Amino acid sequence: MDIGQLVGTIKFPRLDVFMPELAVLVTAFTVFTLDLLLPSAPKRKVLPGVTAIGFIVALMLTGVSGRLSGDTFYGSFTGDPLGTLVKIFEISIALTVLAFAQRYYSHRRSFYGEFYYMLSFTLLGAMILASSYNLIVIYVSLELVSIGFYILTSLLRGSFVAKEGAFKYLILGGLSIALASYGAVFMYIYAGSLDLREILAYEGTDHHYLILGLVLFLIGFAVKIGAVPFHFWLPDAYQGAPTPVTAFMASVGKLAFFIPVVRIMPLLQEKFAFAWMITVGTIAAVTMLYGNLVALVQRDIKRLLAYSSIAHTGYILAGVAVTEVIGLKAVVYFLVVYAIMSAGAFFVIAVLERSEGWSNQIHDFSGMRFNIPYMALAFMIYMFALLGVPPTVGFVGKTLVFMALSFDRLWWLALVMIVSTAVSTGYYIRLVVLMFMKEKEKDLSLRGRGYLEAVSLLFLTVLTVALAVMPGVVWSLIGSASESLFTR
Amino acid sequence: MEVLKAGFPFVTVSMAVPALASILLFLLPERFTKFIASTASLTVFLLSLVVLYLFDYSRSETVQFYEEYFILEELNVKLSLGLDGLSLLMFFLTTLVSLVAVIWSVKDRQINTRLKEYFTVFLLTESFLIGVFASFDLIVFYAFYELTLIPMLFAIGVWGYKLRLYSAYKFFIYIFVSSLFLLLGIAAVATQHYLNFGSFSFSYFDLLKNSYPSGLEIFLFLLFFIAFAVKTPVVPFHTWLPDAHGEAPTAGSVVLAAVLLKMGTYALLRFNLGLFPEATLKLMPFLVALGLITIIYASWMTIVQNNVKRFVAYSSVSHMGFVVTAMFLLNHEGLRASVIEMFAHGMTSASLFMIAGFIYNRLHTFNMESLRGSVRFMPLFAVITASTAFAAMGLPGGSSFWGKFLTMLSAKEYSYLLALLVLIGGFFSAAYLLYLLKTLFLDVREEGILIHFQDIRGFKFAAFLLLLLPILAVGFLPHLFFAMFDGSINFILKHLVGLE
Repeated sequence: MDIGQLVGTIKFPRLDVFMPELAVLVTAFTVFTLDLLLPSAPKRKVLPGVTAIGFIVALMLTGVSGRLSGDTFYGSFTGDPLGTLVKIFEISIALTVLAFAQRYYSHRRSFYGEFYYMLSFTLLGAMILASSYNLIVIYVSLELVSIGFYILTSLLRGSFVAKEGAFKYLILGGLSIALASYGAVFMYIYAGSLDLREILAYEGTDHHYLILGLVLFLIGFAVKIGAVPFHFWLPDAYQGAPTPVTAFMASVGKLAFFIPVVRIMPLLQEKFAFAWMITVGTIAAVTMLYGNLVALVQRDIKRLLAYSSIAHTGYILAGVAVTEVIGLKAVVYFLVVYAIMSAGAFFVIAVLERSEGWSNQIHDFSGMRFNIPYMALAFMIYMFALLGVPPTVGFVGKTLVFMALSFDRLWWLALVMIVSTAVSTGYYIRLVVLMFMKEKEKDLSLRGRGYLEAVSLLFLTVLTVALAVMPGVVWSLIGSASESLFTR
Repeated sequence: MEVLKAGFPFVTVSMAVPALASILLFLLPERFTKFIASTASLTVFLLSLVVLYLFDYSRSETVQFYEEYFILEELNVKLSLGLDGLSLLMFFLTTLVSLVAVIWSVKDRQINTRLKEYFTVFLLTESFLIGVFASFDLIVFYAFYELTLIPMLFAIGVWGYKLRLYSAYKFFIYIFVSSLFLLLGIAAVATQHYLNFGSFSFSYFDLLKNSYPSGLEIFLFLLFFIAFAVKTPVVPFHTWLPDAHGEAPTAGSVVLAAVLLKMGTYALLRFNLGLFPEATLKLMPFLVALGLITIIYASWMTIVQNNVKRFVAYSSVSHMGFVVTAMFLLNHEGLRASVIEMFAHGMTSASLFMIAGFIYNRLHTFNMESLRGSVRFMPLFAVITASTAFAAMGLPGGSSFWGKFLTMLSAKEYSYLLALLVLIGGFFSAAYLLYLLKTLFLDVREEGILIHFQDIRGFKFAAFLLLLLPILAVGFLPHLFFAMFDGSINFILKHLVGLE
């Protein structure tokens, strides 16, 4: 083969399905360059603005390219409805993160240009992770997201907790990526392909390589999504990170890390379905019980929400155990709405952290209704949503998971889920009771109200209810996403 | 089950009026609060009278005033609202009791903080309760069923008495956790519809056609039963109730006892009997036994209570025992008894809680000892107390008579021993109510500090009258009420027997 033939095999990639990623990539590099060039005074205005514009463009492009689907870059990048759905929510939440981050840092009299381009790079990784079947691309984007998170977590100079959290995250995250890539190697040995679709469709003789590969690959992801017993980094990282970053990790991070697992679900062959159900089901049961039980004794609100995040990983994994269309729908819906709920809850805390005498302890919430009634109302809605009280999205998510579980007759898992939700009632309701029924202990006041923050919070709070009362808005996307995966 | 489309959306409007009024409350200054709240609940009450007038009683098993709005087409989730005879009675009970609760609160001196929120709580509860009784879609039913928890959590936790926070927690956790079983049950029933017919559905009408493997049916029955048994409550799931009712403000206890408990028995009748007929027939002896245990155990617990509100709360449990026992006797008289007793108990328990609240206003105590002879110099109030207590006891002419009498009749069809057990239950309920009357009327205290209490008047008197009239109506004109819901219970019975 001479050089001419080689050049002849190069196909120009279809950029139309890759446009949103491209926009975020361009944004990231632009912000990076501007951060180097501009003097520090205009930077504070320009960088957030440019990032926001870039994200909005990416969001619009996602809407445009949402109708297109197909592979590009030699099959390593796949545009499909699932990816589109996930990207819409990832970019929207990243935009709200921008709104809160600016106030958060300016309240600390600091500004980090790094924040804006690292946020863009992380978002880029999350978006690519959401639409790829290729093991190498998954590996690279996983690294991209993770490195972004390490840096974003430790960005606050002089904060020991942030460093500790980031370091724990770094070590366990490194381990997880090592495991995932080791698993990928075994899968390659099994099928001679890097494409998950081909690997799982391949009828090999020696299944050991596939099983070993899948198990290692999934353990790698289990660390990232915070499944017990691989969750140790999660509370520390969530607590240590700047709160807007925590919101970003809990929402976009969880969403992105779950998607490759979700993509494996419909590809699984019949003969592995039972083993998958038992394994994932057991991990789910342990995760939700552990998360809720430990959350019950937390005194720090960020740690409490971190353990609640672990518990939600458990609920979502319970849906993953059911490899049917309804299971996939439940998982995708729950993932998307969990992103909204958790982002909203952490954003409320990000705002509260600016008020004087706030120490992130749960008794700080006492009598919040008398000081800042609207924040209390918003936080109550998030608490009820996380608990699963109608008419909030958490309720619809739990209903869908219950439907999926009864589809496969997984009653034991459903009962474990009921028990763990029962445990969770304790701490969510305690916060509501503290906010609305206790006398106030100290005066809280919101300092530096920003209308961008208010709009973002209103947007997320309304979504928390609206996506449950009118689920048709996202359901068409979820429906086409999960059905297109299953008919493949 | 047939449906009759609504010409005018009565159900939606009567749900929307309180909800919109509660928004209006927040926008206007506090001096308008009481006026708006009472106008809104009066409007809904009048609407319910119009609905009572327009209802076609000759076909009461048909769901009338039926409206349908799609929420999620693919999973067949619909906001389907309508009223059959059974729902109609509960709808009327809801609007009546909500009106009474609001009228009572207008002059309740215990309520002096956060007025706007207070009335919002009651208006929203009314709206959600109408949703519960009018929904013919299980997931929407569940949503409303759970939604009633939130305002009640606030009613107990914010305006309650000493142990309010503890009681609020307990109330919420008991009901919420038990209804998670119901949620699983509903999800499983909808999934079973998929396995039977190839599409998910939460609609009650569709789910009536479902068939289940026998073991699964019993399991699902139990999932539903746990939730409703806690709500009703059936012994041994009743321990949340004395705390919640004992610590809630008067109007909160009224709504809790009169309507919220009925959600449990209404749903047992509508869903457990309707959706799982075979399991019902199989489990019937256990359920009747549970009902009898509830009657007798709760009656004993009632007599030893020291706190008059807890006394009334336990008496509620024992009355709900009658409802459950009668329901699971599964014959025509039994179901009649069960439904009429639901309504009757709604009236009498509301009235008894208001009596307790009224005395508290005068004496600032719920202690039985210090209530001795307290009604002696309030003639009007004494008449009200006596007639309520006698009606609750089951004296002919009072509302509970038909419930107890028909339960006995229907128990007699199985065996005289069973009828005797019901009779013993009735005896105990007479015993504790007579004990209450004796304490209030006959025990005389030496000090004689009670002379100067003012008798009942104004708004509170109106509230009592609104309850006393239906009590007498049920007592003397029961056939009017039977005509309302006979069609519905015949439908459920036919469904049960048809599969026998």
